[in-house]
Amino acid sequence: MDSSRDLILPLDLSEREGREFGNIEFTKTSQNQSSSMQRRDVLRLLATGAALQLAPHKLFAVMREVRSFVHGQPMPRTLNAHQFATVKAMAEMILPRTDTPGATDVGVAEFIDLILTEWYDESERNRFLAGLADVDSRSNSLFGKELTGCTEPQQSQILSALGEKMVEDQDARQRTRMLSTSNETDFYPMLRQLTLTAYYTSEAGATQELHFEIIPGVYQGCNESSPIKEARDQK
Amino acid sequence: MSGQTTFDAIVVGSGITGGWAAKELTEKGLKTLVLEAGRPIVPEQDYVEHVPEWEMRFRGMGDRRKLAEDQPIQSTCYACDEWSSKFFIKDKEHPYTTDRGKPFNWIRGRQVGGRSITWGRQSYRWSDLDFEANLREGIAVDWPIRYADIAPWYDYVEEFAGISGEALGLAQLPDSKFLPGMDLNCTERFVRQELAKHFGGERVLTIGRAAILTQDHLGRAACHYCGPCERGCITRSYFSSLNATLPAAEKTGRMTLRPFSVVHGISFDSKSRRATGVRVIDSRTRSTIEFRAKVVFLCASTLESVRILFNSATPEFSSGLANSSGELGHNLMDHIMAGGARAIIPGNEDRLEIGRRPNGTYMPRFRNVKSKHPEFLRGYGFQGGGYREGWSRGISQPGFGAEFKKSLRQPGPWCFSFYGFGECLPNHSNYVELDKEKVDAWGIPALKIHCAWGENELAIRKDMSIAAAEMLAAVSGRDIEPFTGDDPPGLGIHEMGTARMGRDPKTSVLNSFSQAHDVKNLFITDGSIMTSSSCVNPSLTYMALTARACDYAVQQMKNGEI
Repeated sequence: MDSSRDLILPLDLSEREGREFGNIEFTKTSQNQSSSMQRRDVLRLLATGAALQLAPHKLFAVMREVRSFVHGQPMPRTLNAHQFATVKAMAEMILPRTDTPGATDVGVAEFIDLILTEWYDESERNRFLAGLADVDSRSNSLFGKELTGCTEPQQSQILSALGEKMVEDQDARQRTRMLSTSNETDFYPMLRQLTLTAYYTSEAGATQELHFEIIPGVYQGCNESSPIKEARDQK
Repeated sequence: MSGQTTFDAIVVGSGITGGWAAKELTEKGLKTLVLEAGRPIVPEQDYVEHVPEWEMRFRGMGDRRKLAEDQPIQSTCYACDEWSSKFFIKDKEHPYTTDRGKPFNWIRGRQVGGRSITWGRQSYRWSDLDFEANLREGIAVDWPIRYADIAPWYDYVEEFAGISGEALGLAQLPDSKFLPGMDLNCTERFVRQELAKHFGGERVLTIGRAAILTQDHLGRAACHYCGPCERGCITRSYFSSLNATLPAAEKTGRMTLRPFSVVHGISFDSKSRRATGVRVIDSRTRSTIEFRAKVVFLCASTLESVRILFNSATPEFSSGLANSSGELGHNLMDHIMAGGARAIIPGNEDRLEIGRRPNGTYMPRFRNVKSKHPEFLRGYGFQGGGYREGWSRGISQPGFGAEFKKSLRQPGPWCFSFYGFGECLPNHSNYVELDKEKVDAWGIPALKIHCAWGENELAIRKDMSIAAAEMLAAVSGRDIEPFTGDDPPGLGIHEMGTARMGRDPKTSVLNSFSQAHDVKNLFITDGSIMTSSSCVNPSLTYMALTARACDYAVQQMKNGEI
């Protein structure tokens, strides 16, 4: 895992640039042999007005990239460095890098910081941060160190305990469904929801892990040839 | 835009019915002005159906704070999401009021194409079971038409729009002129077979009848199964004004389409008792313009058309133009939803869907068809369908790590859900009026909506969840979850009935051709015309009645009657 990259680039922007701009026909003023466009090129294109000569859908792609550049936050805004590292470690444990990218590769922690900052309300944010602090309390009382300092088996033990508690709470909620007035989600299901969402809606998560295609072109309601396996074998 | 202000016809609104009126009137030779309150839409720029989640800031979770601030009502509609919220109004600009404890969710789109961009595309014919219901039960007033009157117009609009589906030969749900239906998935095939065994042909499961092309049709391409139609469709595979009728009208060279044109009222000449045109506020300059025409078609939507008529009061029509009956604004209906059930259907785990079918299954009405139900009149149909659980099932599972990740690569078990759409009875005390205290962003008086579900609707909703659970049990479903929500009226987005058709000018606003009893050159052809609500999605019927009204209007003009 290359952690230095995460602090410089939001999400997987570096990968996206090449993909998105690879087929743009650049104007003469912006020859780019590598076919991978840098942000400064995007900005220069806009500054010179050269972008306006692009076909509308290409201009749209440029604008989209600029928007994500302007909005992209290189540093976490709600989480402090330690909280960020804890979230990142937990997300990577849930969805690690295997033969496909993992949570860190696709910027799950950055997305979670975005949601904490711009999406959650105050009570949700407080609940999340309190739950995150509780993770360190657990690991401190069990192992005398914070989660990020624990060994992998120790970290696994903590995640397993959080998972067991989550399932117990779900069962309890199911039993008392008629009486329950609280809809509040606890920290661990919140973390799981954001982690899975961030991963499976990322480009790598959607296309490499799940073989999502934007334009399938056909619909077959009951395919019998196990295409998941086939599609994987083809790649 | 030319400075022309006089036309043969004016069409107010460019949604499903405005688009049809524009096409029909221009093709029949009329120079037609189409007024749209919202902005123009450029499909190449505004359609976003192929923008994947990873290019969205909130990955499809929506800009929650902005939605809460700008679109608290609109965002209760599933389609008003991170991609498509731009096709819905900003609630603050379009206020309306309701009674305390009686919410009504008014979902609106103001742009060229209106709500036809985001509509659900389900398309079903009415039958005489529907057209005769009011008369049979002594409720409200009788429809002035029967199935035989509308059937040729269903044929006509279907042949142009392109409706995919399966012919069943059922009396309560007549077949359309179908393009091939979409494929049923494994679980849907299984559920269909099992239900046929258990319910002896009374409960039939079929593929949804949808205004989505399954083959190339009149210059529009077959669906490519990307999924989210409500974000637009660059191949014009689903029917909308933008994709189909407005281009046809444009082709005649006789349409002038004027966006940013908020219609304030209809001008009326007391001597001739005719509408002379419409008064428009340009939403950008706020200047007022008057346009004149021989005939006016109001296609602004059920509630907007009525608001325009209220705001067009004259000395002789002090409670709203064309309202000598006093029924204008009354009998507001919507379909009651949110009753149903879901379950896991074991089997077929080694089989998959390929592509994202933008359509589900349909079960035609089975209550009060052959035998009378003891607790309610009329009935409901079930939408829904089979699907496999996706990665989100992993959220509530305790697992983590490489094995967990690998398990989510495969889809989860097959599930099936039934989701009811029930008929709503016309009720005089469900109505709208002008709110004297409130105006919209252009200074036009706003509506106050008084509407609540009645006992019959609530009994229908309850039965939906019971019948759905019963069927899922019959097909060996596991973990059956019946549900009933408390969706307020409006959220069905099938609001209708506020300027109903009828035989008697004393008890209805329009005659059988959607012509105002009181003003011969004024036609209304949107959802406000409906005398009852059936339980099927209404847009196809609006289309057919619009085309029929246009044909009649042009005949009347030729005969010198208008």
